[in-house]
Amino acid sequence: MVGWSGRRLALTILAFVAPTLIGIAVFSLYPLLLNVFVSFTNKGLYHPNPDCTVTVWKIMDPACWLEKPPTGLAAPYSIHDPAIKNYGDLLGGFFTKDVLTAVLFILIAFVPLIIAWRVNHYLDRKVTRPISPGPVWLIGLVGTLVLGFLVNVADQYQMILDSGDFIMVNVRTIVYVIICMPILFVLGLTMALMLNNKHLRGVTFFRVALIVPWAASTVAIMMTLIWQFFFREQGTINQILNTLFGIEGPAYLNQAGWAWFIVVLVQVWYTYPFFMVTLLGGLQSIPLDLYEAADVDGANWWRQLVNITLPLLRPIALPIIVLSALTTYKIDAIVWALTRGGPTAGAGKPGATEFVMVHAYKQIFQTKNYGTMGAFAVILFVFLFAATLYSLRITKITKGAYE
Amino acid sequence: MNRPPRTGAKIVMYVILGLMTLLALYPIWFAILASGRAGDRLYTFNLAGMFVPTQWTWDNYQTLLQETVFLTWIKNSLIVATLTAIASVSLGTTGAFAFSRFKFRGREAGLILFLAIQAFPGILALIPIAQILTALGLYGSMYGLVIAYMAGQLVFATWMLKGFFDTIPIDLEEAGMMDGCGPVRSFIHIALPLARPALAITFLFGFMAGWGEFFLANIIIPAPDAKKTVMVGMFQMANEVNIPWGQFAAGAVMVIVPIVLVFLWLQRYMEAGLTVGGVKG
Repeated sequence: MVGWSGRRLALTILAFVAPTLIGIAVFSLYPLLLNVFVSFTNKGLYHPNPDCTVTVWKIMDPACWLEKPPTGLAAPYSIHDPAIKNYGDLLGGFFTKDVLTAVLFILIAFVPLIIAWRVNHYLDRKVTRPISPGPVWLIGLVGTLVLGFLVNVADQYQMILDSGDFIMVNVRTIVYVIICMPILFVLGLTMALMLNNKHLRGVTFFRVALIVPWAASTVAIMMTLIWQFFFREQGTINQILNTLFGIEGPAYLNQAGWAWFIVVLVQVWYTYPFFMVTLLGGLQSIPLDLYEAADVDGANWWRQLVNITLPLLRPIALPIIVLSALTTYKIDAIVWALTRGGPTAGAGKPGATEFVMVHAYKQIFQTKNYGTMGAFAVILFVFLFAATLYSLRITKITKGAYE
Repeated sequence: MNRPPRTGAKIVMYVILGLMTLLALYPIWFAILASGRAGDRLYTFNLAGMFVPTQWTWDNYQTLLQETVFLTWIKNSLIVATLTAIASVSLGTTGAFAFSRFKFRGREAGLILFLAIQAFPGILALIPIAQILTALGLYGSMYGLVIAYMAGQLVFATWMLKGFFDTIPIDLEEAGMMDGCGPVRSFIHIALPLARPALAITFLFGFMAGWGEFFLANIIIPAPDAKKTVMVGMFQMANEVNIPWGQFAAGAVMVIVPIVLVFLWLQRYMEAGLTVGGVKG
């Protein structure tokens, strides 16, 4: 704005910003810094109390602000030597020769697919393609399968999982996200394409009815408890199976495979309406004359989808996939209400559906090892922040935000 | 794509749409049916009763409302959610306006800080927040829970309101300025009234975050029953040995249905909020 300038403007801006920034500093920033501080110490069940005679503690630990700081028989918690011990405990297992080799092998198995992708990319730039993309992808896929068989991907994957609980839950969560995303996208796109069809009646009704799961996700923990009831041993599904066919169904949530499937199913149920609505918005912004031109050229439905719809949806699809991948990575309520991370894989080991957040929650409860869990939070924070910045780079929200 | 589909294709599409609608609505319908059934079972051996109401009674609702602490849970949740929403909107609005309208040193750093805080995983903020609340003597109280929610919600509200202010054209404020309106007056008399829907939606987001949250509430208010929020209370109810299923279903219906209706009613704004909010944590 022109006109308002000089010191008065600076003071005004300060007056505007101050309440918000002070609030954020008190409510958000300080806890974050305290967490980083704790992550370098051995604070936990055996060393709960601060050493308030040292300046750093006096400033950082809120317990030291009291008139009478708590003391106990145990030695006060102190900074580890070396300070990054907690981080080493969490990540150490990963940086061994065997595990890194396993990662390398798995990456090598995917090389043919990456080559296929690049080759297709290169061929797309030519005016006339010598071969269509399908066969190239097929060759890449076959190559990956053969290589995967040769390097024995399953064993390598198991080796990575066994290198530590932190690694295990993170790798599992990443695999979970990779499984969920294509399902969400394909389902969301299919429904959006149908809702976008102007020759169907009652589309408005379907559009509203179909986003009910998304609305229910605001109270996900309650809604998922109802879902859980369907899959209990004496739950709805087994009841129907029993009445209709006389089959005694299993306790679905106590079997690793079924539990995984159900968590994916419920997650998809909650999330695909978000994809559907966003992609529908994208579809409606595609000019119709493109399709008319394609009709004139005799392109069939599938070719129009691949050559017009999908490329034009890309700027909308990519951001929501990344955004959704980040929230899916932090899945908590669904798993907690369905399985609580189970079924167990033995004492002290993360259960089959114990994804990152659920694992963290359980660990805070069970071990009360605050130092290590602080480091857990910091590592995740760095990872998620990097992912957020990356997603902003591709969505270019940053551009709008900084203008 | 815009050719009329053949009859066969049309039928297939209707079947798929119908099935997906059934899938979307059935779990809630199931809870509604179960809440009106006598006895403590969620299911019925009568298959038709799974899909249409074969009997209906208000007993479960009556028992739940009169003989349990359910209403207290609801009241607690309402207080926590409302306080969170009020606090985050009132503290966030001025900052959001400044970040949207003015250029100043440290602005970009501030925006990146907002993003960073939103990336911090909610459950893991528990460790420092529990420490702070213990020191303040607020552990186990609703105000402590509000403070815990503010850690994430204030930044979210500021970020979202900034997005909304960005979409309000600056022309009106410039016109006001020509007439001698200072930044404070143009904020109060021009920008704020224009942003009223945005404030309402941000309030609603804050409210829903507090209403539906479970993990922090579960730890910060562990006992007694009468102090818990409705999510924690109902979760505990569903995991007891002898579960009063009919009452549980009645409670679930009372918690889920209103929020779904509000969401559907304000659908467009909710979508806009999610897009503008950009990086929802």
